[in-house]
Amino acid sequence: MGMEVKEGLRKWRKVLIVISVMILVSPFFAWAAEVVGYAEPLENVAEHLGAMEHEYAIISGLIPDYTIPGANPYASAIVAGIVGCLIVLGLGLIMGKVLQRK
Amino acid sequence: MHIPDGFLDLWICAVMYLISAMVIGYSAKKLKDKLDAPQVSLIGIVGAGIFAAQMLNWPIPGGTSAHFVGGAIAGILLGPYAGCLSMVSVLTIQCLVFGDGGITALGANIFNMAIVDVFVGYGIFKALRRYNQDVSLFLAGWIGIWLGALAAGVEIGVSSIFAYGLMTTVLVMGIWHGALGFIEGIITMLAVRYVLIKQPDFVPLPKEVRG
Repeated sequence: MGMEVKEGLRKWRKVLIVISVMILVSPFFAWAAEVVGYAEPLENVAEHLGAMEHEYAIISGLIPDYTIPGANPYASAIVAGIVGCLIVLGLGLIMGKVLQRK
Repeated sequence: MHIPDGFLDLWICAVMYLISAMVIGYSAKKLKDKLDAPQVSLIGIVGAGIFAAQMLNWPIPGGTSAHFVGGAIAGILLGPYAGCLSMVSVLTIQCLVFGDGGITALGANIFNMAIVDVFVGYGIFKALRRYNQDVSLFLAGWIGIWLGALAAGVEIGVSSIFAYGLMTTVLVMGIWHGALGFIEGIITMLAVRYVLIKQPDFVPLPKEVRG
């Protein structure tokens, strides 16, 4: 990682702290979503028109639905948050490097 | 709002992949050789923040709810082209690593959340900020996600699995996300204000790539 990237990340320290806090509170939101019976309008209209049974996943991913199979779902949420943020950050840094002024 | 596999007819999947690929290609072309060193890390940082915020489902009594999407924020902070690429990375990782949104529907999900939300949000902010910055930020977040949801409503509504119930799908998506979009608008306003206040050394992307 180049110096300028490290410098860029350092400048964004406060935002990185906010991101860490969001990851830390994600289990609470996962729990609260369960309590209220969270469902998005897309799922509701799919239910209404009988499309829900046609839903499937070709790729369920390493951490399907942000839950590590067999692990505690709330701890999973934190791991999923860390893994997801790091990959997105890395992907963004690669894109930035590729697009950087030559 | 992440459409799973099985909801969209194959032809609509193909059309949405094609449109999204063209916009991504155009955005990358607009950005090529335009970023200076301080801006290289911005796409990743904004993307990571949006990924984390998307994990927080709003617990609204009654259950029908949504979570933050953030396309408008990406468009406003990074400009529409880099904002689009940042959202594309979020949606692609959600699909491939977490099974959130189907691989067949990825083109459509990118169109709704990484193109419509980003470009509309950016456009509203740019057009209205001279009158009132806070109002322009709120409207960017609100209308950006609302139009993104309407696009999703059209995509599923012309699909056979939804019995071609276009009127119903557009109405349900439009009314619910029109209401829930208020929250998106408020978060958009607060988050952009936070970045502008707390990051006085925030170096926005060069003018030529901010549209």
